Amino acid sequence: MSEEIRTEEKGKKLEDIRKEAEEKACPVQKAVYFIDEFIAGPMCSKCYPCSLGTGEAKIRLTRISSHHKNVSKRDVQALKRIGLNMIEGSFCKKGRDTGRFLIETLAASEDEFIRHISGFCLQKECISLVEYKIHPGQCVMCGKCLEACTHEAIIGEKRESYLTGYLPFEILQKKCTKCGECIKVCQIMAIERLSTELPELIAK
Amino acid sequence: MEKLVKLQIDGTMVEAPAGMNLIDAAELAGIHIPNLCYLKGMKGIGACRLCLIEVEGLKAPVIACNTKVRDGMVIHTKNDKLNEVRKFVIDLILSMHPLDCMTCTKAGGCNLQKYAYEFDLKESSFTRKKFGYPVDEANPFIKRDPDYCILCGRCVRVCKEQGTNILEFMGRGIESKVLTANDKPLQESGCTFCGSCVDACPVNALLESDRLRKGREWEYEKINSVCLLCGNGCDITVSTKDGRIQKINSGAAAGSAEKYLCAYGRFGFDSIEAESRLTVPMKRIDGELKETTWEDALSIVADKLRKAGKEAGFISIAGIGNEDALILKKIAKNVVKTKNFDTTLSLYGETDSFRNSQKADIDKADLILLVDLNPSQWERALPALDASVRRRVSRGAKLIIINSADTKMADAATVNLQGNEISILKRIAKALIGKGFKADKKLGAAVKDVEVTEEIEKAATFIAEAKNPLIFSSPALFDASANIALIKGKVISVGLESNARGVVLMGLTTEGKTYKEMAGIESGKGQGAKSAVKVLYAVGEVPLQTRPEGLEFLIVQNSHLSGLARQADIVLPSATFLEAAGTIVDYMGRLKYLSKVIEPQGESKSHREIFIALAKVMGTAIKLPTETEVNKAVRIKTKLSFSPFIKKEGLDISPNEFIESINASLINSSRLLWLKETEKGVAV
Repeated sequence: MSEEIRTEEKGKKLEDIRKEAEEKACPVQKAVYFIDEFIAGPMCSKCYPCSLGTGEAKIRLTRISSHHKNVSKRDVQALKRIGLNMIEGSFCKKGRDTGRFLIETLAASEDEFIRHISGFCLQKECISLVEYKIHPGQCVMCGKCLEACTHEAIIGEKRESYLTGYLPFEILQKKCTKCGECIKVCQIMAIERLSTELPELIAK
Repeated sequence: MEKLVKLQIDGTMVEAPAGMNLIDAAELAGIHIPNLCYLKGMKGIGACRLCLIEVEGLKAPVIACNTKVRDGMVIHTKNDKLNEVRKFVIDLILSMHPLDCMTCTKAGGCNLQKYAYEFDLKESSFTRKKFGYPVDEANPFIKRDPDYCILCGRCVRVCKEQGTNILEFMGRGIESKVLTANDKPLQESGCTFCGSCVDACPVNALLESDRLRKGREWEYEKINSVCLLCGNGCDITVSTKDGRIQKINSGAAAGSAEKYLCAYGRFGFDSIEAESRLTVPMKRIDGELKETTWEDALSIVADKLRKAGKEAGFISIAGIGNEDALILKKIAKNVVKTKNFDTTLSLYGETDSFRNSQKADIDKADLILLVDLNPSQWERALPALDASVRRRVSRGAKLIIINSADTKMADAATVNLQGNEISILKRIAKALIGKGFKADKKLGAAVKDVEVTEEIEKAATFIAEAKNPLIFSSPALFDASANIALIKGKVISVGLESNARGVVLMGLTTEGKTYKEMAGIESGKGQGAKSAVKVLYAVGEVPLQTRPEGLEFLIVQNSHLSGLARQADIVLPSATFLEAAGTIVDYMGRLKYLSKVIEPQGESKSHREIFIALAKVMGTAIKLPTETEVNKAVRIKTKLSFSPFIKKEGLDISPNEFIESINASLINSSRLLWLKETEKGVAV
């Protein structure tokens, strides 16, 4: 909406963003990354469909990836509408390409998007849709994860020789921010990242 | 005549001038192409995407605001795909907009509301976004509420185009915002409070700040008239409700460079009901002004004038209507039988320059010369001329400034020629003759000996290449400037008062004592000399601080109790320009019509009504001048002819001070006083 199209693009080009987005396995994360980087970088903010459309797309994608309490299929439909109108109505190629990316990503993996709405991220990339769990059978109670966790989300007692009756190690889901620091320090791979359980899938 | 092209819009054949864009062309056929960011007269930027239309033969839709008509074009403005994009955009904007149309002052005049209605959008289907930006309402003129802003950028562009350049976009995407520099309140940002942005805003983001619960668009009666506060004589559209003025907007045609109104014209109207407004005649009893009746006041005035006869004199401002001027002359010459009648025009202009001044259209000018003129929006000295010239320059016209002093306008000039105006004009004439233009022999001889410098050559080349050069000149340098117009272009003498040209054409120019002689003004010294008359009748806000020396009797006929009126023996309350119909001839030579927008306050009457009543008391019946009488006086044929290159002497008042002093009562009795004081404060 500023008069001149910005000739100097700050930072990344659209192609780079696309490549980086493709590295993500989860299609929702792909789209989140693409839109975030587009808004922060090459978007010229000149025309409504692109400037306001991507703003709305970001809100909708956040709702899906964070499993917002009111998330629904309408969010996916809204994304589709935004994408189509950006292709049709955007001023420049950058906007139309961004619209196309949204539409293509949706077309290729609409099922995945729908699964997210049910609270399941197959690729375990959407942190709101994963849980960290300590395998009690594998845990050697070394206490490294307890030291690494800065959010006081892990409870448990370090094993000491000749003593019995320890409190086992456990992650408190309410406190866990899913930062992943505990996984990094667990040398015996006793901590695992899991998709949250999906009622429909379990039912099958 | 412009070339016309034929095209088909939604099945209707339209003829449109070549170069016109599709939105304007469709409008000719009565077809509205939706748009939010388009502003007539300015290049389309295609931000809102509402004006996307389909052209047969083109793959993708194009924006109508920035696509020119072509012969044989077939366009479709409506189909499902286009409507979906439009609906999508309105839907998105609504998601960021406070949906409070039921209490919103702009309702009825809001484009967003109009399109929401058209596309049947009750509320947005997208996520509601709330911003809670602070409202800028620390001034009594313009309220800026960014929460309503739809980011169309019209205000930013309008402000940039006219050269004030206060508003700018900040931020990106949905977080964009229109700001002043450093997000300062308007009065600290260099804003002149012209309100062009208010006229441009399609929603409630920029609004007159006194509009709260003073009615909405559909409740107003809209009346076109003319502002008489300075030499520009701008067109205005006045909105009234219950017989009171609610707001004034620029009345110039959309798209014209003249679509401008300064703070005086737009916001000064509250002075009409101010305390200092005169509503009944007053006479001096025991040294004090006391209220009296019209009958009493007029009989005293009649008596004094009758006794004074040739020793009576009339001075008036030149910001009165043609009809007032005609009658004033009649009453002076035929009833009182004095030759002493003059206007403030003689302080800044010589009558011949207004008689010979040509007619022109600034929107057609592709080269503008400003000779010895220093218009300024910031000083409010012919601000509309400043704004229109800057607009023309923004739209591609060239500007040559010829002035011995430094001008603010120089920053917009293509060529700035600072130096002795006479010598520069002579050189330009010579350079033009050197380029093969034909000129009068006497003119050729007069410029034979001057030298042409590189800068002059450059300016002359621009004049030679221009299609419609237009010269605006001060009256003092009109003759010299007219010599250039004799070679090429048109020339306009720019007066400081709205009806300077009209007053001259109506013949209200002295045949006896001059304004200065009657007011006791000595050249270069100001007031102090003895008045040349015994009884002085002052009409309008004449710029005199003190009662002229040696007067036996002073009559002041004005709308407000001005400084001079306080020293008068009789004060007659007159109507303001918004309370009387009539005509003027503006500086461009156009006959403009004033409307009686509201009834005069109290017992005040228009100048002409007072004169007619006074003549009746004196035993002579004067009729209101007919339209034919005015038209006949306006329609004089003049031809420019060579005059020596001379700058007229004695016309050396400061335009800024003059315009401020003829509007002193208006400023002092309205919210403009706040502006003056704030501007002084900022300047310190």
